[in-house]
Amino acid sequence: MGSMYRASKTLKSSRRAFSVLSNSLKSNRRDPLCIGLYQAYGFSSDSRHSSKEPTIDLTQFPSEKIRNFSIIAHIDHGKSTLADRLMELTGTIKKGHGQPQYLDKLQVERERGITVKAQTATMFYENKVKDQEASGFLLNLIDTPGHVDFSYEVSRSLSACQGALLVVDAAQGVQAQTVANFYLAFESNLTIVPVINKIDQPTADPERVKAQLKSMFDLDTDDVLLVSAKTGLGLEHVLPAVIERIPPPPGISDSPLRMLLFDSFFNEYKGVICYVSVVDGMLTKGDKVSFAASGQSYEVLDVGIMHPELTSTGMLLTGQVGYIVTGMRTTKEARIGDTIYRTKTTVEPLPGFKPVRHMVFSGVYPADGSDFEALSHAIEKLTCNDASVSVAKETSTALGMGFRCGFLGLLHMDVFHQRLEQEYGTQVISTIPTVPYTFEYSDGTKLQVQNPAALPSTPKYRVTASWEPTVIATIILPSEYVGAVINLCSDRRGQQLEYTFIDAQRVFLKYQLPLREIVVDFYDELKSITSGYASFDYEDAEYQASDLVKVDILLNGQAVDALATIVHKQKAYRVGKELVEKLKNYIDRQMFEVMIQAAIGSKIIARDTISAMRKNVLAKCYGGDITRKKKLLEKQKEGKKRMKRVGSVDIPHEAFQQILKVS
Amino acid sequence: MLKTTISPIILSFAGKPKASRFIFQAFNKVVLQDTTPSARRNASTNLTTLHQGPPTSAYVHLPFCRKRCHYCDFPILALGTSSSSSNVYEEGKEDDPRITNYVDLLVREIKATRTDFDANPNLETVFFGGGTPSLVPPKLVSLVLETLTLNFGLTPDAEISMEMDPGTFDGQKLKELMDLGVNRVSLGVQAFQDELLKACGRAHGVSQVYEAIEFVKECGVENWSMDLISSLPHQTLDMWEESLRLAIQSKPNHVSVYDLQVEQGTKFGNLYTPGQSPLPSETQSAEFYKTASSMLRGAGYEHYEVSSYSKGDFKCKHNLIYWKNKPFYAFGLGSASYVGGLRFSRPRRLKEYTNYVADLENGAANWCGTGVVDLKDVATDIVMLSFRTSKGLDLKEFGEAFGSEVVKSICKVYEPYVESGHIVCLDDMRREVMSDEVNTLVASDEAKIENHVRYLRLKDPDGFLLSNELISLAFGVVAP
Repeated sequence: MGSMYRASKTLKSSRRAFSVLSNSLKSNRRDPLCIGLYQAYGFSSDSRHSSKEPTIDLTQFPSEKIRNFSIIAHIDHGKSTLADRLMELTGTIKKGHGQPQYLDKLQVERERGITVKAQTATMFYENKVKDQEASGFLLNLIDTPGHVDFSYEVSRSLSACQGALLVVDAAQGVQAQTVANFYLAFESNLTIVPVINKIDQPTADPERVKAQLKSMFDLDTDDVLLVSAKTGLGLEHVLPAVIERIPPPPGISDSPLRMLLFDSFFNEYKGVICYVSVVDGMLTKGDKVSFAASGQSYEVLDVGIMHPELTSTGMLLTGQVGYIVTGMRTTKEARIGDTIYRTKTTVEPLPGFKPVRHMVFSGVYPADGSDFEALSHAIEKLTCNDASVSVAKETSTALGMGFRCGFLGLLHMDVFHQRLEQEYGTQVISTIPTVPYTFEYSDGTKLQVQNPAALPSTPKYRVTASWEPTVIATIILPSEYVGAVINLCSDRRGQQLEYTFIDAQRVFLKYQLPLREIVVDFYDELKSITSGYASFDYEDAEYQASDLVKVDILLNGQAVDALATIVHKQKAYRVGKELVEKLKNYIDRQMFEVMIQAAIGSKIIARDTISAMRKNVLAKCYGGDITRKKKLLEKQKEGKKRMKRVGSVDIPHEAFQQILKVS
Repeated sequence: MLKTTISPIILSFAGKPKASRFIFQAFNKVVLQDTTPSARRNASTNLTTLHQGPPTSAYVHLPFCRKRCHYCDFPILALGTSSSSSNVYEEGKEDDPRITNYVDLLVREIKATRTDFDANPNLETVFFGGGTPSLVPPKLVSLVLETLTLNFGLTPDAEISMEMDPGTFDGQKLKELMDLGVNRVSLGVQAFQDELLKACGRAHGVSQVYEAIEFVKECGVENWSMDLISSLPHQTLDMWEESLRLAIQSKPNHVSVYDLQVEQGTKFGNLYTPGQSPLPSETQSAEFYKTASSMLRGAGYEHYEVSSYSKGDFKCKHNLIYWKNKPFYAFGLGSASYVGGLRFSRPRRLKEYTNYVADLENGAANWCGTGVVDLKDVATDIVMLSFRTSKGLDLKEFGEAFGSEVVKSICKVYEPYVESGHIVCLDDMRREVMSDEVNTLVASDEAKIENHVRYLRLKDPDGFLLSNELISLAFGVVAP
């Protein structure tokens, strides 16, 4: 799941000057810390900037000569290619030297074609308007992680911008992520520059797409730019439109310093690198700054722009976007959306800072119980660069010591698991993802549940009410699949909010769905019933009252905490039956009969048995040659290590993984 | 459990084989604490040093067969069937160069085995296995025995066993072998149904089985064993009961019952999948095992090892050496020895074996293997071998050798199986200790469970049937 959720590719970049270095570091590229390594080395070995004296004079760019914008698009509508072209056009990168997805540094980003960490680049552009002298502009292209899991970060990135290029594929037209991204940008009061891309395709139908943009977003069809980022057709109109239509940053240069922290990453040598947008005032190297939300103060050790590598400038002025290095140790101190100001001044914090909200929780356990320390270490390193994961130790009777991790959403969780395994080589068992529920008891107490095991199966007081989080889902699909999708949504307890035709062939559906229902396989299911033609996106919505029950799984009468799940009462029987069936297939025969049961409280709702193993004996040790037999027993011993033991029942790791797939 | 610290201690001990110095890897603190210098000096009674003494047993491999049985993956040399021969018993003639050359090689191997143990006790058991040793002319067997006697000595009451197949010997040949000292016969009957014998590629029929039994009896072989195989293709429970009944009627004082093992690369391995027709299902196969256990025990046999049954005093002394993890020599193609704590297998191909013997003679090869004895291996060997026997694992001895903590861990991992009846706990007097008492002991602070539970053994037949599962569980705590 996951790879096709709203996601975006990052900017590509070429870095000719550092190619030797990057080759020598290639073997390390799986290590996310190498991101920092490249940039640290890239910075100091770049001949243009090797002297301590900054060579770029930012004072030449007052606010009116600055434009801050981002590119937003549905996946594969050409966002990365357009970004590449714009950087080539401005000489920020050299043409033909870009490596595909070069800046998608994490293996998971390259594999999934998505951006988890945003990238940003500063470009210099000479704008020539007819009959006037050319004038130099500083353009900041601020990339955003595309996925809705990171929507909070997206909106922070967008709030560093005054405008956005809304890129739409000329053949595919408006898709679900186009809609979601449009509204994010619209809510941030950004000027939208609509761009229809890939107009060179034979199936391109720009007129139809223009009509969609008009009907969906009320965008003026005359304002739409028609380009092909691939062939370069129409590209020359893009940056002039950015300069003409997008307003300069509105900050006040003689006000006290206020900066928005919109991203951060960890660098092994420099510590945390913060990406900032200067709203008011100016910042110079050596300044002492404070962070409003975290309350911490630091000295600015380095300041500069991303061009596209970290390039020291010694200062940042009003409206400019760049990075600061403060010697901060962990990204946990760099809260996205925080306001940075000069220490000992008083400023009004910038609006919009929110603590991270975790929507999906899952237990993460070492596959081999003895690897707890290794897992702990890997999680620590990973969260060093991704402060948005919440981590708390927990213990399961079935799985031993592990962690309960909270994620922004499904993709976020998936990416985290994948990075743990790929980058740290940690084999993990993750438990069924759960969403945060609220239960109220007859004595008036309320219980927040992030782990189904923590919900008492037979509580002292009666549950009087329960609530679950919901999402507002946007689905755009060809009209012939509408019936099937409506069935799917109602099966997932969805409430239809909107059903409109975008044009003759495409339908726009809006549903309120319980988050739990889309946690596991909703998108896979949607893709399969629409032959891949539907696009899907969602945003958080409020909690709703719901009749929720806990389904326990018992093996020979003993509840397995890691397999417990919370479901809507209507679905409990179906889920219980599915879980029992799955387990029966994945648990091997044991030395005695194993009874598998699903239960709500003390009521059994599904059951099955695995009959006992009858025989496993090696009859003969011929001529005293026991070596082969012993090898077999050793192998069997190793096999048992790959099992988790609950009571006397051995459960293979695969069973836990498969159970995850039961909705 | 056992992996807290690994500190090697170097022991040198009296009576070590030539040119070997063994490094023992003690595998936890407990071992180090328990293995005080005085305990180490007192090594003769300790399980960890049992294998260090000079062997008193020898396995001799005589690989000749008329043809390869369909289930067999042993190193054998097929001589070819001579259906034209008027007298089947003349197969393996004295002048067959394949046999004489091999025996010549074997004799050279024995002679080249020069031990330098301080004490050189005589051999107490010799086992001729194969192949079909009864195909080898008695004169050549005599040569082998003489060489063994010259090189190691042979006690007058040594047990000398020979595997013999129906149709490969007659009364006269058996008499000659007995005159040479062979005093135990292991008769490879396998089944009492012609169709089954044929299906598994045996070179004899049921009539030869009866003849062979007759020869054994008329020659007055007191100590003889009959081999049977269960779970053959197309075998039914009726057939199996019939075989067991006829075996009991023949009154051997030892019966070995082997459950068919379908090995890769054999004809059966290519044709069949265990548990699938025409092989019996796992359930049927388990039923066969249980039937054998109940019928043979009902007829007065003691089920003293997973696949061995004996009457009175007629346990196979040679095999007991294996189960007790005591050392033994081995000679011949593909044979495996256990000397000085090292298991060593000779080459399985004749050409390589020939080279090996030459190397042995010129000092380029070692006759007992090289390497380091890892105490974990010794411990798992003891666990694996002890649990094959009805005596079971002696926790007192095991605790003395490897520490009481390991004993406790074994008991803990077996708790559910004591309760389910797969494992039986016995005290010093071999009285059963009940499962709740065992649970209490495991839960208590009692340092030495072995003071209360002296032996653990697999229940016959349910525990024996699942011996792989149970033994590998113990492996998991003994050598994690």
